[in-house]
Amino acid sequence: MGMSTGGGDGGAKPTINVTPLIDVLLVLLIIFMIVTPLKPSRFEAKVPAEPKDEQQVNVKPNPLTLVVAISKETKGITLNNEAFGDVTDTEKLANRLRDIFKERENNGVFREGTNEVEKTIFLKSPKSVRYGDVVKVIDAAKAVGASPIGLQIDDLTE
Amino acid sequence: MAVSIGGSSEYNSDINVTPMVDVMLVLLIIFMIVTPLLQQGVSVNLPRDVISADQDSDIAKDTSVIIAIPDNSNFYIGKEQYPIDALGEVIKRRMEGKTPDKRIVYIKSGVDVDYGRVVQAIETIRKQDIDKIGLVADRKKGAEQPAS
Repeated sequence: MGMSTGGGDGGAKPTINVTPLIDVLLVLLIIFMIVTPLKPSRFEAKVPAEPKDEQQVNVKPNPLTLVVAISKETKGITLNNEAFGDVTDTEKLANRLRDIFKERENNGVFREGTNEVEKTIFLKSPKSVRYGDVVKVIDAAKAVGASPIGLQIDDLTE
Repeated sequence: MAVSIGGSSEYNSDINVTPMVDVMLVLLIIFMIVTPLLQQGVSVNLPRDVISADQDSDIAKDTSVIIAIPDNSNFYIGKEQYPIDALGEVIKRRMEGKTPDKRIVYIKSGVDVDYGRVVQAIETIRKQDIDKIGLVADRKKGAEQPAS
């Protein structure tokens, strides 16, 4: 193997074919760029203050209160003790809530002392229900405009 | 080296890709390094594909308090595991000096966790005079923000 010295003009140029390399790099780059800025999101829920004994005396029951409850055995959803579907099908509850809120908007039913339409709901669930199911119900309620969402914490059944 | 004689010199019409590849590689490496760092705390099987959760960039901030409940037996803040009795103290410490509208504790709970465990965490949070809770969930891709 003699080293070619001089006169080697006509030899093949030793260039690497970079095009596929760039292709792969671009794709990887794009994948990482898409994955990185996934913004987190959350539901905001309110928790009633800790019950104090003297508070219980002068609490007026609010006729506008909407209590969504999940039953432990059947995973059924009730709204103010009326059944509306279950956790696998939140559509019924969503429809009912949407109707209620619409009616309130039309009739001008406001939260006490403000001019916002009363859209508060309370959520009550037994302790043994899967968190995922509870979130599904919150999602359905929030989607039709319920806000604020209160989580009942005290006196939950197992 | 061929010396060009006269006007018959050949121009090289290839794009010089080397600097481009350099830049790409550097970007790629940066993203590869940054991505795992962005995920803080333990990994939790969050509720997925919810429609109506609000985006909140505060969740990713270092200063916000996030309680992670990956399964039925553990509570984490950041990467540290805490027993339920110690949570309150930690929350109190980390909430010090925050303005009232920033007094929110985020809960990242797995979907299979019992609601009762989440309630336990919320009860602890409530004892610190915090009444706002953020339940972290993954939005469905492309879901539009509901008009409120």
